[in-house]
Amino acid sequence: MKVKIIVASIVIVIAIVFGAISFVETNVEYTDFHNAVSTHKKVQVKGAWNKNKESSFDISKSQFSFYMTDDNGQEEKIVFDGAKPNNFEIANAVVVKGRYEDGCFHASEILTKCPSKYEADAESVKKSL
Amino acid sequence: MIGNILVKVAFVSILISGASYFYSFKKSSNQFLVIGRNAYHLTAIFVLSFCAYLVYLILTHQFQFTYVWNYSSTDLPTPLLISTFYAGQEGSFSLWTLYTTVIGIILMQYTSRKGYESEVMFVWSMILSFLLLMLIVKNPFTFIWDSFPNDLIHIGAIPFGTSNYVWIDQAKSIWAQFPVEGKGLNPLLQNYWMVIHPQILFTGFSSMAVPYTFAVAGLLRRDYQSWVKVAKPWTVFGAAVLGTGIILGGYWAYETLGWGGYWGWDPVENSSLIPWLVCVASIHTMMSQRRSGTFVKTNFVLSILCFIMVLYSTFLTRSGVLGETSVHSFVDAGMWAYWLLLGVIFLFGVFGFGLLIRRFKEIPKIPVEHSIYSREFALFLGAFTICFAAAFITIGTSSPIITNILKGHAAAVDTSYYVKTIVPLGIVIALLTGIGQLLWWKTSTARDLFKGALYPFISSVLFTIGLIYVGVRDIPVVLFSFASAFALFVNIYVGFKIFVGNPKYAGGAIAHIGLALLFLGFVSSARYDDKATVSLEEGKSKEILGGEYTLTYMGNRQIDNERYGFTVQVRHANETYMVMPVMRYSTQSNSMMRHPDILNMYTKDFYISPLSVESPGDQAPASYTFSKGEVKEINGLSVKFIDYDFPDEEKGKMVTGGDVTIGAILEVQNKGVTEQVKPLFKRTQGGPSFVPATLSHTDIHFTIVKMQPNREDPSQSKVDISVSNPTDVSHNQPKAETLVVEASIKPFINLVWMGTITLIVGFAVTIIRRVQEARGKE
Repeated sequence: MKVKIIVASIVIVIAIVFGAISFVETNVEYTDFHNAVSTHKKVQVKGAWNKNKESSFDISKSQFSFYMTDDNGQEEKIVFDGAKPNNFEIANAVVVKGRYEDGCFHASEILTKCPSKYEADAESVKKSL
Repeated sequence: MIGNILVKVAFVSILISGASYFYSFKKSSNQFLVIGRNAYHLTAIFVLSFCAYLVYLILTHQFQFTYVWNYSSTDLPTPLLISTFYAGQEGSFSLWTLYTTVIGIILMQYTSRKGYESEVMFVWSMILSFLLLMLIVKNPFTFIWDSFPNDLIHIGAIPFGTSNYVWIDQAKSIWAQFPVEGKGLNPLLQNYWMVIHPQILFTGFSSMAVPYTFAVAGLLRRDYQSWVKVAKPWTVFGAAVLGTGIILGGYWAYETLGWGGYWGWDPVENSSLIPWLVCVASIHTMMSQRRSGTFVKTNFVLSILCFIMVLYSTFLTRSGVLGETSVHSFVDAGMWAYWLLLGVIFLFGVFGFGLLIRRFKEIPKIPVEHSIYSREFALFLGAFTICFAAAFITIGTSSPIITNILKGHAAAVDTSYYVKTIVPLGIVIALLTGIGQLLWWKTSTARDLFKGALYPFISSVLFTIGLIYVGVRDIPVVLFSFASAFALFVNIYVGFKIFVGNPKYAGGAIAHIGLALLFLGFVSSARYDDKATVSLEEGKSKEILGGEYTLTYMGNRQIDNERYGFTVQVRHANETYMVMPVMRYSTQSNSMMRHPDILNMYTKDFYISPLSVESPGDQAPASYTFSKGEVKEINGLSVKFIDYDFPDEEKGKMVTGGDVTIGAILEVQNKGVTEQVKPLFKRTQGGPSFVPATLSHTDIHFTIVKMQPNREDPSQSKVDISVSNPTDVSHNQPKAETLVVEASIKPFINLVWMGTITLIVGFAVTIIRRVQEARGKE
């Protein structure tokens, strides 16, 4: 019986340590560009699309690039493997997930945040009268 | 008004029912049992009434109700119109309440035959009262002018010609206007899946409360053994239905929503997977208790935990606590719902576990007789591993909360977390799925095990060698495939023998065959999917995925007001197929929806999802990737990438965070004249900028698009340069419309669907057997 308990405890401890390491390794922090540029880690940054600067889709590489300003006012070029995301024009905030490398932020995922539900609703309720 | 009143009356009557059932349990009073029963039936009538009332409001387009306005519209076909019942948070709580009520009626009849009615229905009434309390706080019967008083409530005379108004207080001439058309159902949800999937999922969700109810009932009446027999068919039923719901959701995402896969480890998906895993674990330990009376405490813990995880998952996805860490938009339900859900988790947790702790010493300890080579031990290890998987997924999904407490700001885990932690557990589960079937109850010997395992083991070794031969080299994948194949062969072997004897007993083996197929399908379709994003110029062919597939975009065609289909010809292995992914621009939600098209080819799916359409002139100037020293001919120019201009002093600034300038030195030959140009990358406080360089006497600009320096070996450095010539657009821009698609191959994805169906069949066979067993026919 004792041996069983010892073996079980060891297995549990290994599993917990393994889980904790995976958890820390894969945690994608919410941060700003300053941090992204200095750490080169995979992070998530929220900001707004800078519409004054060029944004374009490169057909030969199938990459969409644009400039984004984070909440602290720092601006970076974003390169995304894919086309312009859904609702990009109407989004009031953009969240990019990826890492900063060699002069631009390589996004693997882009989330668009649309205007808050309540504001949108108040607008549309007036429209549907 | 009517809806609100019905909800409140239902709440009062369920409290009466619960109290009467409790009294009847305490005093063994038959009189109160009848009161409890009648009050429950009354509750059911009220619940059915307010649900029917909501359906009526939706069908008759009563847009003066915020909920009806928010999710439905006059142009929806009837099935979809009815499905708007549960399109929103308040409605899905109503659906959950409805199914819980209905299941309660069946449960009442079932338990009254078994002599468990008072205790079980007392706990069930408590659960139902929580759901009704949620509905009192947030129900679908709010008037729209209460939601938007500033926009809709007016004082004074009603303008001539206004018909869509109601008087709120005619004496003070206060009136409210209401909409004549609803916002409509989210276009993503407008398909038949919306009609069936939530129904199944919520039936499963409601059933997850049954094991909890029986466990607490068992504790209340100090019945530590026989409750398991009564609860067993319900537990299997819950797992079967919720499992079906989960996988249907996955198929929906894959087939219609165009997420590229059937599973994304999203909090919404995880929140139904976690209770399901706990429920499946408890099926295994319950089976063991039925056989040899062991795992009494484990079964109490798991049955209680199963429902607590349902509540916790609901809290995660419905309270807004996950905020911005998911693709799903979570509606902020407000402080009330947040604290109510937390309070309810605490309440039911304390009630269940508290009672267990109080009874802990009383629970008879069954001496462990079985050896390591017994089915009990394998079942226990299996259940234990499944619980570990559930725990890892719970921790991952709760990551924003955990990191917020520990570090002060929220961070979500990457999906790779789940793959990393679940794959090793999956290997163990698959192995145990095989081994468990080979062992006898209580005592087996190592010899029994080896004897039974021999042929399946040899078969799976051969299978794995075959996989390695065709190029599978990833060690976790090899192990996972081997373990799954072993589980498959053992269960086919054992299942066949059982089936010949008595098909009724083959449920477990069939379900495990399904699981093994599912595992193999997961490995092949997720690990070996091959993906490419390609731009297809109309009329031009393009080879993708290593030249195996040739795609040609044939042009678009308008399907209806909002939908466009894009015909793409796919040539593969001397066959020609046509696919038509669809893009839909919804004017109502002002958004673009992309529907994939799938070629199902037995051994694989070819999956094509539209990303965007670029019209000529919209695109960026073409860019070119240069290795160091490489020469390219571009529009009559000969361009060579010499090196980066990146002095050491600049490198120092990069570390200290000052302004940095990096140049790319290009040597350009134009009509015999050689010139060096140096486009720049600058990073200053304001952000980065890419400064183009212009070739002398021309309008040709060179701009850095992307730098790819190689720090280990600078001679391997690369750079992406775009060359633009405003006077000669025709050279570097395509003339035709370009369709951008994501194409992928999902090898053996059919295994996933086959496995699912087999798994459900296995569950069904088991339910039939357990129901018969609970009826005492065995």
